[in-house]
Amino acid sequence: MTLPPVLRLVVRNFRASIDPITLLVMFGQPAFLIVILGTMFNQLIPSVGASGSYVAFLVPGMIASQMITGAVLAGRIFWLDRRWSMVEQIFSGPFRRYEYLAALLLTTLLFALVGVGIMALVALPLAGLPTLSGVELAVILATIALGATFFGALLIAIGSRIRSANLYFTIQSLLQYFLIFISTVYYPVSATTPTVLKAVVYANPLTYAANTVRDAFTHSFGPGDLTAGVVLGGLALVTFLLAVAMFRRLEFGPVQ
Amino acid sequence: MSAPRTEIIAEARDLGYAYRPGQFAVRHLDFQLRRGEVFGLLGRNGAGKTTTVRLLTTLLPPTEGGGRLFGKELVACGRAERARLGVVLQSESLDFVSVERNLRLYAFLWGVDRETAKSRSEEMLELFELGPMRERKPWALSGGERRRFQVARELMHDMELLFLDEPTVGLDALTRSRILDYLATRARSGLSIVFTTHILHEADRLCDRIGVMSEGRLRAVGPPSEIKRAYRGARTVEAEFERALSGPEGQELEALLARDGDGFSWIERRDDLLLFQAANAEALVASLARWAGSRGVEMTRIAVREATLEEAFVHLVSEGPAPELGLARRRS
Repeated sequence: MTLPPVLRLVVRNFRASIDPITLLVMFGQPAFLIVILGTMFNQLIPSVGASGSYVAFLVPGMIASQMITGAVLAGRIFWLDRRWSMVEQIFSGPFRRYEYLAALLLTTLLFALVGVGIMALVALPLAGLPTLSGVELAVILATIALGATFFGALLIAIGSRIRSANLYFTIQSLLQYFLIFISTVYYPVSATTPTVLKAVVYANPLTYAANTVRDAFTHSFGPGDLTAGVVLGGLALVTFLLAVAMFRRLEFGPVQ
Repeated sequence: MSAPRTEIIAEARDLGYAYRPGQFAVRHLDFQLRRGEVFGLLGRNGAGKTTTVRLLTTLLPPTEGGGRLFGKELVACGRAERARLGVVLQSESLDFVSVERNLRLYAFLWGVDRETAKSRSEEMLELFELGPMRERKPWALSGGERRRFQVARELMHDMELLFLDEPTVGLDALTRSRILDYLATRARSGLSIVFTTHILHEADRLCDRIGVMSEGRLRAVGPPSEIKRAYRGARTVEAEFERALSGPEGQELEALLARDGDGFSWIERRDDLLLFQAANAEALVASLARWAGSRGVEMTRIAVREATLEEAFVHLVSEGPAPELGLARRRS
């Protein structure tokens, strides 16, 4: 039986495009941060809001940030496909452009979910995991899916316009660290947070995703989570359409 | 080669593409590809061969004009039409796995079943002499090996029309010959091939018809023999003398031949060797013999041969098409 084109492309993305060392680093780094940051800051920070311990605060944030890990990996696949002319090769075959884009976004989501699983496993002995209701689990997965779509589509849109590997990977790294550090992944926003920083943090979609996952972990969903979901969904739609538009204008030929 | 090739499987109709507004990479392309034929696209670097391949494989949408692929307008072609194509791009494309896994993964992408992919990968590894490097990563191969790998990988799936954009670049003569033989065999069994190359004798050997491109235009289309013949209907005359001709002798000979009106042109003139392009080779030979006899200069060798494709090509891209080729510069 032949798989549908999108799934064939996803399988190919997993089997061919990312080497094990890259995967180890991409997933190992946040896991390492949970262990090290969680353990070290736990000693300094007695408690963080409803989460309780710092490590319990950190884990949902790191889980949310896996949407960025997934997006970075998919963006990397796309860039390498451009660099090694596989985009052109695939487009000359029995695939539609939107199928390649859909496969990249699905790959983003699957990588993000793998990351979520790894973070959960790492967190288990350190902070334990709360028992989640079906709705809470569904909300977490939906948040991850929307966030992965947003960040994945954003990186693909950027990657489709840039013809230099140096520039692409510089932008990607900058975006990755900017989004993770200026969000509520590592620390909460409080009344004492400077206004400007607060504004930037709340302009970052990752903040909403981290807060929603955290609220699910502490069983404290509120109207803000619904708003966050709608905003994230809207942003995902906008960046998806942007990526589609960029794909239509994608130019072939050498990239450096 | 075998059955009459009448079915048109692809065509360009006044086809053009501009990468930037007003800057056409190719323009006014008119030609047809027939089922089972090998069609060569010849041209200098930047002549528009790769753009033509991209247009016909639907990678680029036409800026003007149009064309058809398997009977369907190029702009309306999709998965169904592309599934009948094979494309070896000019630029190398690869996945980050071993040579053998690349072959099988590519077959998987094309929906080839596992057993077929396995047997076909063995066949391709052997045919393209990639067996010893099956476990190596493609980027670690030499340039020629990578090119072989590209062609081998594309042949992992079934197709009706194969586009090969400079497939033999960097290959040694023996490997090139083997690949060309294989492609000729596939063409005989019905595969249509579009083949771009700079190596003109390859095109002469493999192609049923060729199209000569220059500056984005198609200067001539036809069988290699016709293109060579239509090159002013000329043949090449080589005359070698026992000794170098003196300056006055050469001038006298030139004046004599010009007066006799043999319709020749010089190709090359070395001391003792003269090469002419002549519409009436027999008359030219007779004139040369008369002149040599009257001067007491012995001609040690005289040879008349067909113009080579290279000579015709150089003429076409530098001076434009011969009137006999039909594809005059109507829009140039």
